[in-house]
Amino acid sequence: MISASCLPAPSVFSCRAPLLRMENLGVRFGPQWALRGVDLHIWPGDLLAFIGPNGAGKTTLLRAILGLVPPAEGRIVQHRPDLRIGYVPQRLSLDAAFPLTVEEFLALNLRDSSAWFGGVPGKQRRAVREALETLQAAHLARKQLGLLSGGQFQRVLIAAALLRDPEMLLLDEPSASIDRRGTEELQTFLQDLHQTLGLTIVFVSHDLHLVHHLADRVGCLNQSFCGVGPPQEILSEPFLAAAYGAALAPRRFGFPLARS
Amino acid sequence: MNLSELWSYDFMRYALASALLLGPACALLGVFVTLRGLAFFSDALAHSAFTGVALAFLIQERTGWSVDPMVTVFVFSLVLAGGMAWLMQRTALGADSVIAVAFTGSVAAGAILITMLGRYRMIDGLLFGSIYANGPEELARQAGLALLVGGLILSQMRRLALATLSPELAQAQGIPTGWGNVLLVLLIAATVVVSLKMLGALLLSALIVIPASAARMACRSFRAMLGLALLGGVLAPASGVVASAGLDLPTGPCIVLANILFLVLCGLWKMGRVGLA
Repeated sequence: MISASCLPAPSVFSCRAPLLRMENLGVRFGPQWALRGVDLHIWPGDLLAFIGPNGAGKTTLLRAILGLVPPAEGRIVQHRPDLRIGYVPQRLSLDAAFPLTVEEFLALNLRDSSAWFGGVPGKQRRAVREALETLQAAHLARKQLGLLSGGQFQRVLIAAALLRDPEMLLLDEPSASIDRRGTEELQTFLQDLHQTLGLTIVFVSHDLHLVHHLADRVGCLNQSFCGVGPPQEILSEPFLAAAYGAALAPRRFGFPLARS
Repeated sequence: MNLSELWSYDFMRYALASALLLGPACALLGVFVTLRGLAFFSDALAHSAFTGVALAFLIQERTGWSVDPMVTVFVFSLVLAGGMAWLMQRTALGADSVIAVAFTGSVAAGAILITMLGRYRMIDGLLFGSIYANGPEELARQAGLALLVGGLILSQMRRLALATLSPELAQAQGIPTGWGNVLLVLLIAATVVVSLKMLGALLLSALIVIPASAARMACRSFRAMLGLALLGGVLAPASGVVASAGLDLPTGPCIVLANILFLVLCGLWKMGRVGLA
């Protein structure tokens, strides 16, 4: 393991308590370890990305934070037990003919929608409209969910997560199935959300361009924890080689890598 | 005998009341059955009643114990559902193959047992039922079933819809995956038990699957699908009963064809709306 995994918190966060603390976190599926040895703090206002190859444990880490998979060793400590976490999964494999409008889908995600029958009552409709307007997607309200483009769908998923008023937003591969222009738009509105709402954002991605331009900190995974630090440090040969393999890493990514 | 004369008979009024109770309940159940891709699965559960009924007679003949066929139908349909789920998870067989094996196997086993027990004539009744075999007691049971199905599905609507749309999103909101399927299997089994005598396995499957499929085809919003499925669940069975009385035709097949007519009309309406007609 490279020593940067134990980097101290950036100075801007150091006077505050972390939202989450992972201590020697390990997750196992049967005999197979999906993830091991993760020591990490997530700070309020963090914009943290996780990178690593397929099967590196990125999604597992998000699911562990959500409490969907239990740690096999170590632990995750929340600063407050009632920490509100929003989750944006990878593009859902939806049946395009599923009869559900964007507005109905968003109402489905509201906390107080126990009596949901597809309808969107006045108070909820306002919340839904506001969430869509925040993401400049108000025009999508009446569209059928299964017919949205990749970028539109990603916005709707983020709007759904925002409706639950999260303090921390987790995104799993937010740029998967979005074209370059869509990814740039995604980057812009995630930055806006981070700045205007002060939201803590944690995302996993294969898109190192997005990670490079969006994240304040980057965590590097390959079933074990390779390191965490600023993008210019982690998106460099030693860390990428540790995550993706020494032979592949330098040739694989089509932008000039920062060198440590 | 004209229609107004027919309505003066209790059996006709009971048949219509039965159609109006079971039709919407089955249609509501069908909304989630079809959205979850469980139409064939529910069909197999309905037809498992062949073996369920035969088991009751077999137990009675071999042990002398009088067992209510409703109990054996309910238990056998749950055993079959559990067996199908186990096979789907533990073997390389596709879900459709497992269901086909369970479906045909339980009908064949039931038919053999019923024949061996000398009750071959029952098979027609198990397939098509007899909606005129209703009395106040049956209607009370059907009203109870309609309340159970309506109450459980409406109160769990949000959880069911989210789990149907995306198990991952539902899980992230604390809704366990697989829970919705268990609820639907229990409700289908209860529906089979209560309505088999009146509807038969074939008609029961039609009432669950066709109105919801028609509504799904025609609608792009969930609320519209729900409303249209319920409308089909009221109109098709009621018009099937009326048509069968007026035209002196078998009631079960009339109800199935009325459902299919509803589906065709929904399809035509949808084609007209998107400019294909």
